Amino acid sequence: MFPVRCFTCGKVIASSWEAYKQRIADGEDKAAVLDDLGITRYCCRRIFLAHVELVDIMAPYQ
Amino acid sequence: MEIDVLELSDRSAKFILSNTTAAFANGLRRAMLADVPTLAIDDVNVYNNTSVLYDEQLALRLGLIPLVTSFDDFVPQDECTCEDGCPACVISLTLSVEATADEGRMVYSGDIVSSDPKVQPAEMNIPIIELKVNQKVVLEGVAHMGYGRDHAKWQAGVACGYKNLPIITIDGCDRCGACVNVCPRNILCLGDKFVEVSDESRLNCSLCGLCQDACEIDAISVTENESSFIFTMESDGSYTVNELIINAVNTIKRKASSMGDILSTL
Repeated sequence: MFPVRCFTCGKVIASSWEAYKQRIADGEDKAAVLDDLGITRYCCRRIFLAHVELVDIMAPYQ
Repeated sequence: MEIDVLELSDRSAKFILSNTTAAFANGLRRAMLADVPTLAIDDVNVYNNTSVLYDEQLALRLGLIPLVTSFDDFVPQDECTCEDGCPACVISLTLSVEATADEGRMVYSGDIVSSDPKVQPAEMNIPIIELKVNQKVVLEGVAHMGYGRDHAKWQAGVACGYKNLPIITIDGCDRCGACVNVCPRNILCLGDKFVEVSDESRLNCSLCGLCQDACEIDAISVTENESSFIFTMESDGSYTVNELIINAVNTIKRKASSMGDILSTL
């Protein structure tokens, strides 16, 4: 699951995750989407860029 | 001490604090980060959790969700006059979501049901856990007031920081343009006779000094005003930025007066 807050600064970032994921899937530029969502610091941005969703991988082994 | 507000919204602020000391500016920064109590889910009773996350991970995610807090209505439990929990220090929130046999669903912070209508998640669209078919989560979260110095979930101020006000002086410029090219933030521009910098872009200067190095005739110098600070801060949503600053200053005041009381008894 996507982290609720930025590890470094503590900003609540999870609320922007689904909008980000949707817009990236629509083919928008990542940097422009992050700017638009108000994720301006690089500590928060790296979490969006580097996130790997594991729920679907874990789910069969429950 | 003077305050010049540059930007102010519910969630973020930028202002210039002048005629003060670095010690005071840092005190204010620290008070906003660590000394303003907020509500956060602290104890979780899990009745059923068949999701992919362990109970502990789920509890951490719940804790980090900011809750809208009324500063006057709640007190940290160890400062409360009651003995084992009262409505002023303990708030119960429940989360009970079940995915159907046909399709999974995402659990959002908006699914949390609070026992006190004034206490709600600051944002309703924070994903907590994705439930696959037939999975369910039933739990009760108990929220307490706490301090940011104890855990990040109680940290109301986000990215509070300051820098000194930059002073850029240009004297004897020959309009060669070397400094304009080298400035990473593009705050310098070529005027009619010499290089110019507008008041607004001056605040954006990062004090890197590259322009000083680039100037061969030492016509430009960048120094900092040691008694003025450009403050930037954000709130996580539990308070508005206004409330956060006022609460932080009140905390400093209270600490200073208790220090005075202690000193006067010596």
